[in-house]
Amino acid sequence: MKAMQTLKLVLIALFLCSSLIGCAKSTPQMDQEDVGKSDMSQPSEVKGADEGSMKAEVVPTHDDIAGMERINFDFDQFTLSAEARSILGNNAKYLQANSGTNVVIEGHCDERGSDEYNLALGESRALAAKNYLVSLGISAKRLSVISYGEEKPLSKGTGESVWAQNRRAEFKAIK
Amino acid sequence: MLMRWFMICFFCLVLPWSALAATEIEISSPGEQSIPLALTRLLPNKGPESAQISGEFNEVLDADLDLSGLFRFVDPEAFLDDAQRIGLYSIQVDFPQWRLLGSETLIKGTYKIEGDKLTIEARLFDVVNRKLLTGRRYVGEAKDVRRMAHAFADLVLKELTGEEGPFSARIAYISDLSGDKELWLMDVDGKRPIRLTNHRSIVLNPDFSPRGKEILFTSYRANNPDLYRKEIYTGKEAKLSYKQGLNVAGRMSPNGREIALTLSKDGNPEIYLIGTTGRIRKRITDSWGIDSDPSWSPDGSQIAFVSNRQGNPHIFIADTFSGQAARLTTQGKYNATPAWGPKGERIAFTRQSGGQFDIYTINIDGTDERRLTFGPGNSEHPRWSPDGRFIVYSSDKGGNRAIYVMRNDGTGARRLTKLDSDCRHPAWSPRW
Repeated sequence: MKAMQTLKLVLIALFLCSSLIGCAKSTPQMDQEDVGKSDMSQPSEVKGADEGSMKAEVVPTHDDIAGMERINFDFDQFTLSAEARSILGNNAKYLQANSGTNVVIEGHCDERGSDEYNLALGESRALAAKNYLVSLGISAKRLSVISYGEEKPLSKGTGESVWAQNRRAEFKAIK
Repeated sequence: MLMRWFMICFFCLVLPWSALAATEIEISSPGEQSIPLALTRLLPNKGPESAQISGEFNEVLDADLDLSGLFRFVDPEAFLDDAQRIGLYSIQVDFPQWRLLGSETLIKGTYKIEGDKLTIEARLFDVVNRKLLTGRRYVGEAKDVRRMAHAFADLVLKELTGEEGPFSARIAYISDLSGDKELWLMDVDGKRPIRLTNHRSIVLNPDFSPRGKEILFTSYRANNPDLYRKEIYTGKEAKLSYKQGLNVAGRMSPNGREIALTLSKDGNPEIYLIGTTGRIRKRITDSWGIDSDPSWSPDGSQIAFVSNRQGNPHIFIADTFSGQAARLTTQGKYNATPAWGPKGERIAFTRQSGGQFDIYTINIDGTDERRLTFGPGNSEHPRWSPDGRFIVYSSDKGGNRAIYVMRNDGTGARRLTKLDSDCRHPAWSPRW
């Protein structure tokens, strides 16, 4: 009973908060001229330059799994090579042994070509890996996919050895 | 109406239309003809002098008009004393002096500073026929001087070619200057960059709504590539499409009522149309392969896109109504990022040849393919200016990837962004 009342109070408080935020957001918009002017007044060069000095690395959303190796692909391809299949076979064994681990498969491309096409290609790579693991008996429910296209290269730079590393699917534990 | 951020007073200039018709100069494509132009510096009109105002106006106007490829500039070192005299009316201009220098057109103007207020009057004269062609008075603040110069450059092109310039527009692009890939906006000469997003994730694929002032983009903010829209002036942002998998390459239709985008909710990337609320209206493609990267024809009846349904990625054109698609490109093994030109006849795209990417244009019937860039490095992501005169794109020829602009025939290329960050995926706004 007491718990219910507390819950009620919390809900009311939340409601009030959200309506306050709502109000704050729905204050009449400044007319475009004013806003446009204030935009112009921003020190355009300095702003970006200031922040440029504190470069931050992309924080990985998911953890690497020690027992699961990444696989690589040929340029503009998402078919699995013999080597990729054998790695996936090992990964499937790991997943069978660790039935509590759910995995997100990240598909990646090298930096060449269209961003949009590479997003699609990265997804096809992740799906190819997923489908193969499913064919080896891993439940599809444990496997999700996400494509990062060419946006998260493993190593920066140019040249076939760099690009070859970046064309990959990685296996990360879902937290 | 045209520009809300500063007032424009249309200065009443009475032009006899017969004279105008006689002096109009026919220009079919940039770079083909050059008009001798004398561009004088603004002079102070009863007020404090500011070398910065006159210098900045001159620099912006000079760069815009030079990019147009329409002009041959008369060397300012050769200017005679008329360049130092205020001349806002044809009767005040010593035309024979300018004829002597071989000039056929002349730009003169004045500025006046009153407190925070800046007034610039600019004029374009026809030296041969001793006529005032056009003029404007711009009223704003000192910080608006670049916009005033861009606006006058647009007007000069309109007067001489019948088609307004695109210099008052903006360019959206992706830069990692802040440490993450975020959405940025800059003037068309690369100046005054402003960061618009703070997602601290990955932001991708910007595109403007047909009326400008609103940008579509994809962001991984919620750990999935979702499609967002953002109002530039209010900063308001909304998630528009967030289906499982890809919600990428969103492109608003010319009438602004629909968005073409790539969704992979069913496990294979296909192009769909969604309404402005995000609800799926229609599926455009249906193939086993990848279909992505839609670009609308100016009338909205067709959509160009990339597909690898016949093996390698090629450009296809689909009918928006029936979904029926035909292949456009036949050469090369990797063709991508189609951008349908605003005039409707040509499509710009990227092709990989000899290990590097370059920009090409082609007629929509597959004829008259032309290569515009020839390395070094990779040139990618072409997008047209709203008048079709220019193409903005990204290139890594300077080391880091940066945004460049060139004329639609590949000439006049220049870099717009600095080399201190990775800049990519530009989109030229409609006229602002």
